[in-house]
Amino acid sequence: MKRYWKPFFLSFLVLLVLFPFTYMVLLSLMSGWQFPDFLPSYFGFKNWATIMTSEGGLLQSFVISVIISLSVAIVTTISGFFISRVVYYHPKSKVLNVLAYFPYILAPVVFAACLSFFFIKLGLFGNVTGVVVAQFLIAFPYALIFFSSFWNQKMKSYADLTATLGGSRLQTYTKVLLPMAKSMLLVCFFQTFLISWFEYGLTSIIGIGKVQTLTIKVFLFIKEANYYYGALSCCLLIFPPVVLLYFNKRYVFKKMV
Amino acid sequence: MYKSLAIFLIGFLLIACNGDAKKADDEQLRKEPWEQISIKATGTTVNFMMWQGSPVINNYMNNYVVPTVKKKYNIDLRISGGQGPEIVQLVMGEKQANVRNGQVDMVWINGETFFQLRKIDGLWGPFVKQLPNAKFIDFNDTFINTDFQQPVNYMECPWSINQFAMVYNSVKVPAPPKNLRELEAYVREYPGTFTISNDFTGMTMLKSFLAELAEGPKGLDGPFDEKKYKTLSKALWDFINSNKMYFWKEGETFPKEQSKMNQLFATGELHIVYGFNEGGIEDKVLSGLYPKSTKGYPWENGTIKNANYLGILDNASQKAGAMQVIDFLISPEAQLEKSRADGMDANTVLKVSKLPVEWQKKFKSAPKRNYGITMEELEPYAMEEPAPEYMIRLYEDFRTKVIEK
Amino acid sequence: MKNRIPHIGLVLFVLIGILPFALAFIYALLYSFGVVGVVNTGFTFKFWLAVLQSGEFFKSLIYSALIAFVSMAASVGGALWITIQFRQNLEKKFLSFIAYLPLAIPGVVTGFFIFQLLSKSGFFARISYAFGWIREATDFPDLVNDTFALGINLAFITMVLPFFVLLFLNVFKNERLDELSILAQSLGANPRQVVQRIQLPILLKKARILIVLYFIFLLGSYEVPLILGQESPQMLSVLIIREIKQYDLDKISEGYVAAVLYTIIVSATVLFLFLPKRKNALI
Repeated sequence: MKRYWKPFFLSFLVLLVLFPFTYMVLLSLMSGWQFPDFLPSYFGFKNWATIMTSEGGLLQSFVISVIISLSVAIVTTISGFFISRVVYYHPKSKVLNVLAYFPYILAPVVFAACLSFFFIKLGLFGNVTGVVVAQFLIAFPYALIFFSSFWNQKMKSYADLTATLGGSRLQTYTKVLLPMAKSMLLVCFFQTFLISWFEYGLTSIIGIGKVQTLTIKVFLFIKEANYYYGALSCCLLIFPPVVLLYFNKRYVFKKMV
Repeated sequence: MYKSLAIFLIGFLLIACNGDAKKADDEQLRKEPWEQISIKATGTTVNFMMWQGSPVINNYMNNYVVPTVKKKYNIDLRISGGQGPEIVQLVMGEKQANVRNGQVDMVWINGETFFQLRKIDGLWGPFVKQLPNAKFIDFNDTFINTDFQQPVNYMECPWSINQFAMVYNSVKVPAPPKNLRELEAYVREYPGTFTISNDFTGMTMLKSFLAELAEGPKGLDGPFDEKKYKTLSKALWDFINSNKMYFWKEGETFPKEQSKMNQLFATGELHIVYGFNEGGIEDKVLSGLYPKSTKGYPWENGTIKNANYLGILDNASQKAGAMQVIDFLISPEAQLEKSRADGMDANTVLKVSKLPVEWQKKFKSAPKRNYGITMEELEPYAMEEPAPEYMIRLYEDFRTKVIEK
Repeated sequence: MKNRIPHIGLVLFVLIGILPFALAFIYALLYSFGVVGVVNTGFTFKFWLAVLQSGEFFKSLIYSALIAFVSMAASVGGALWITIQFRQNLEKKFLSFIAYLPLAIPGVVTGFFIFQLLSKSGFFARISYAFGWIREATDFPDLVNDTFALGINLAFITMVLPFFVLLFLNVFKNERLDELSILAQSLGANPRQVVQRIQLPILLKKARILIVLYFIFLLGSYEVPLILGQESPQMLSVLIIREIKQYDLDKISEGYVAAVLYTIIVSATVLFLFLPKRKNALI
């Protein structure tokens, strides 16, 4: 009856979602956009061409970001999977679970500010390794909590059954647990990749501006009030996750609630 | 489990306690002839932490300095963003952790950071006399040998010299205010078009105001005077608080940094701004950010003129490399490039008359400013930087007595 | 041998999951009492007194909590409405991909984007100018860096609302809410009752913990208020980092006092949320 407004509203929502992506791309192609002009004085690929070749290149930041995020995602997913098994079959699992939440919900930037002394001590300050370790520390609790729903009584029974039937520890993992956890491992990898890919505050403190990931670059351009380059770095920041999402979306929410 | 934990903790402590004695090497460096230093510098990677808030400065560094030092000296210069507090914090952290090979070798600083770094023994030197190009600098100039009322003593190397200037849009404001009394009338006539940025630039403006309240451009000279500061700052906060409802956004909030304030000027929200480097007008008009009607002018009671400096950190791992880079940065070649009005547009710190004739010619024929006011024009209104404590206190009090009020 | 692996696992858990947090907390605590820190001279209460007396921390806490609350209320409310209204449409292939797209936008970009749209020289100001609604940039209303944190709230909502839409859609599927609703209807419930008595309670109950967690995330959020916030009051993380990185070296400890207070508040919330006290405390 009154349903006729729905398609319009829905289309509006779709436009709303697509708006930031379009806007960022357009802004990255502009230059000399003075207020109150509605159109910029330049529109084209100039920004993309100069910034990719210049010494302070974004391309380098892109590569660093990919390396950091991949390392964080791989290490976190693997360690989170195995360690969570121990934690959730532990008699005191409830208490351990609560402990895991502390670093999870603390603002990463504050966490980093309080931890930076130890990173300096260990020589992990201002380098890529340090940033990977620091991001790992905040992504790990996520993985731990994420996998908690996997290790239920049923899984334990499967594992026990495999052992009873003569399977080795290795076989239990390769033949039973890992195949069953495949989709969750994928989601965890994706989510921890994003945690790392999007991280700014902690990276700025542990990397002291020397490790210039894409988020650091965006802020640099905002500070410079160079919005066109800022938009360009935003593009590099948002489109890889879009591609990942396209392949991954049906897994993202599994087991979340 | 506890055993493994204990092993880890012991390992952790062991790592925490190492630290080597490379002090002797550094002492040696201060006596070595330049040729030796130059050899040591070749092939090193030098980390330079500097303020990166300006596109022209970044462009100069990234597209001129970095490739040139690579080509000339085979030095990899890595630039990272960070100014005053960040540099000091980093050095403090590393001191506390007893790190001998720090993350950063050289820094771009001003007197206040110089003061703080000296306070925690963060700087290495004196090294400036060893630089071959230092002979072109006039160290008798008080604006060069004194930084925020402190003798520089060759602990930091001047990089450029400039004066703070007022900037206004001549189309919108025919007669801009030149003193506090006129400012008071101005903000009433043009409400919402003036503000104070909560950063280095804004605080420098406040120092000019403070000196005016002290009745004279020399009002704040000499060491920090608590009593004087208390009286003057009270008058200043009273002045601001009684006028701030006519400031930008009714004085309820203030822009965080200078670049933001410049944007507000560009969009026409503000009619009057200010800044170092004689207001930083030229590049912004050339890039189309500021309208062509933008002009610079002096503040009647004077604005601060100062030099900014390059320092080498006490725990720098590449001191020779840093010296080589700094020497390049004060070379006639690099300074000429830096002074181009269509580029970074920063006044050279070299005394041009000390240069070889061919360089003198080059400096004289370099592109001149078309829009910005020059340092010569501002010279009669030059004021020395007051002691660093004034700045530190202004920061604190501007927040508690104005912003949070 | 068989017992070795759990041991190593547990040690790793402590090393990665607990030790860094503990170290960070202890360091901040020591710093706040002046025990560590290059310019500090020894144990003192003065930093704690200064922070408690100035009241800025608590102002910032309340301000942050208010922003987080408003954003969460709007996001969860909006997400519920969208989910209930458009559930069937959002299951379709194209729309279901669109629904996931907002997850690809980080806080930094959201902040930047909102600023580009809403500032006085931003996109909407240009449109208003083109239509002759404003004559100068100053005529455009304050929407970013403003007292009421409109920009921050908007940014938070655009980040959180899409997430909760997806979450609720999944609850719908996993809890077979459609079947339940049909059942209720056939038992005589009207559509309103179905929404109010069945769908809403189940959705909210399932999302309860995530709602509280997101509230805490927003409370500690950093990038968005850094771009869109004003100078005072500031949100918690911005305030803490500003104090830790301030010019006056003698006052850095005050930043650590704020960090310790913030950590305690957040940790207390976790304990309250997750520590099983009575049987029905954990739903």
